[in-house]
Amino acid sequence: MKNKIITILILLSLLIPVTIFAITGEEIIRKADEIQVFETSEASGEFRIKDRFGEKVSTFNSWSRGTEESLIEFTSRAERGQKVLRTEDELYLFFPDAEELIRMQGSMLRQSMLGSDVSYEDMTGGKDRISQYDVVLEGEENVNGNECYVLIMTAKVRTVPYPKEKVWIDKETFLVWKAEYFTKSGRLLKEMETLEVEEIDGRMIAVETRISDKMKTDTETIMIISDLKINIAIDDEMFSLEELSW
Amino acid sequence: MTTKLAKTALRNISRNKRRSVLSGVAIGVAAMAIVMLFSLIAGMQVDMESNLKSYYTGGIRIRNENYEQYERFNPVHLTVDAESVQKVLDTIEEVDVYVPRTSFPANLYIEGTNFGAMGVGADFKKEADFIDLAGSLKMGHLPENGKNEMMMGAVLARDLKLEIGDKVTIMSTTAARGTNAITLEIVGLFTFPVAALNAKYFWAPIDRISYFLRMNGDTQEVILKVKEGVSELEAAEAIKEALKKETSINYDVQAFTEISGTYEMIEMANTVYTIMAFIFFLLGSTVIINTTMMVIFERMREIGTLGALGMHGKELVRLFFLEGMFISIIGTFIGVTLGIGFTLILGKTGIDFTESMQGIDFEISGMMYPKLSISKTIFVFFYSVIVASLATLIPSRKAAKIEPVEALRYV
Repeated sequence: MKNKIITILILLSLLIPVTIFAITGEEIIRKADEIQVFETSEASGEFRIKDRFGEKVSTFNSWSRGTEESLIEFTSRAERGQKVLRTEDELYLFFPDAEELIRMQGSMLRQSMLGSDVSYEDMTGGKDRISQYDVVLEGEENVNGNECYVLIMTAKVRTVPYPKEKVWIDKETFLVWKAEYFTKSGRLLKEMETLEVEEIDGRMIAVETRISDKMKTDTETIMIISDLKINIAIDDEMFSLEELSW
Repeated sequence: MTTKLAKTALRNISRNKRRSVLSGVAIGVAAMAIVMLFSLIAGMQVDMESNLKSYYTGGIRIRNENYEQYERFNPVHLTVDAESVQKVLDTIEEVDVYVPRTSFPANLYIEGTNFGAMGVGADFKKEADFIDLAGSLKMGHLPENGKNEMMMGAVLARDLKLEIGDKVTIMSTTAARGTNAITLEIVGLFTFPVAALNAKYFWAPIDRISYFLRMNGDTQEVILKVKEGVSELEAAEAIKEALKKETSINYDVQAFTEISGTYEMIEMANTVYTIMAFIFFLLGSTVIINTTMMVIFERMREIGTLGALGMHGKELVRLFFLEGMFISIIGTFIGVTLGIGFTLILGKTGIDFTESMQGIDFEISGMMYPKLSISKTIFVFFYSVIVASLATLIPSRKAAKIEPVEALRYV
């Protein structure tokens, strides 16, 4: 009888850490979101866009504040002066030869940005994915030598770009190493893979990412972030429409 | 004997004028309708070819060698060095007139919404020798090269509630395979003969479009017309050779009959028109045959009387054949003459199908001008006379075989 009790106690004690320290899908996503958000940031970078006609490079400077505001200004010759402003609710495009700002909405958001595999829609939506998706921790997998959680996210709202996502998140750093984006019926739309990471301010940040639109043939876009500065002073007017037109 | 029969036939025709006039009118109307339909169809064929040459492909089209292969991907970057091409074209005797053009899909951004349209970049100075753009203007003036201006299809402007003086921001994919937008002011509204062009297109100066689409001064194509009597196929071959020799670039040079889709469309249209003509022709023939046969069947009593008076079967057949022939000659002559007259009038005034052609994406003008074909008109005349005359044979041969007593029973 005594042995039985001891055995039960031992078994129970083995279970305690699992119940106390087991991480949920929501928590993983929350942590992954947190490492991507800065109070403010400034970066420069480039898009390397490959399609059936070859490769082209578009360079840009970008600024962001919190989860909702960002500004990208293109600096490469063909797109020089074009800007994409994301505010809390809207996405605006500025073209130097257009006399008005273009507010992207509805089906316009599905258009490709600069012919890349990234759509304007990909830039919308807050980074708070917990409120937008049901998250299920499906298991664990190794991605290029990195132990990852595998999560399935199903949209709860219709305002997100993709109804279903499958993400591979690093168990230690909570960096997203890989993601697949699907339609509601399960058709693969896009793939994202982190190629290079950098530690900034104690967080692992993806600085080179490959995005591939599976609805197109032979295309991929590599986004490289260089010279990332975080928590810097940014002019309050930076993300205003008035500033965008200047 | 035949002279006697002819006299009798003529007397028979004049004896029952109402019957003769009615059957002559029926034959005449059918002949007139056939002449007019043939003319309308000939007009449509000429019109389609002319529209294709003027607004779409030219007589000959010069493009980047790879453009056609990737056309569905809107390969704006596959361009033609218009300046060097035009220098070569200046040296080729067969070339009458040429223009550089760039067609591109665009979104018109109006009050927060994108509307799909097609843009055409054109050199408005050169276009004056190619097509009558100024004559197609419904309101305003032609855009000026070098200015951010556009002229828009009147139907498109109406649909989008735009008018002269309004500014429209257009967005499109550039030769750098990025996106760009530019604001253009509407300075003119046009009404081209082709309804589809008025409902979808806007035209802007090619230099501004080249800048907007980041084409570095190049254009999508150069289209041209050859001099009268010159074969487009042979000229295209000569131009291709000359361009290769002078610019060392292998351009895609095609006569409009070779262009994939275009020639097939003309062929298809011609087949449809031929079927339409054949059906109408058949209907016309039925009217002629029916009228002629009815007239004879109704005269069985008369035939019986003639038989009883001693007229032989063959003579009866000949008599009615001559009657039918005389009536059809007179009816067809009047019908064909009226058909020619109406065609010539409508050939000048045109028939307005503009309203009914709205929304139809086909390269046919809203205003249709019938074109008289002399050979087809002569054919219709003889055909109608022969059909009407032969149509008399069936009932009259039958009538000739019937005993006079039997024939007299018909009431």
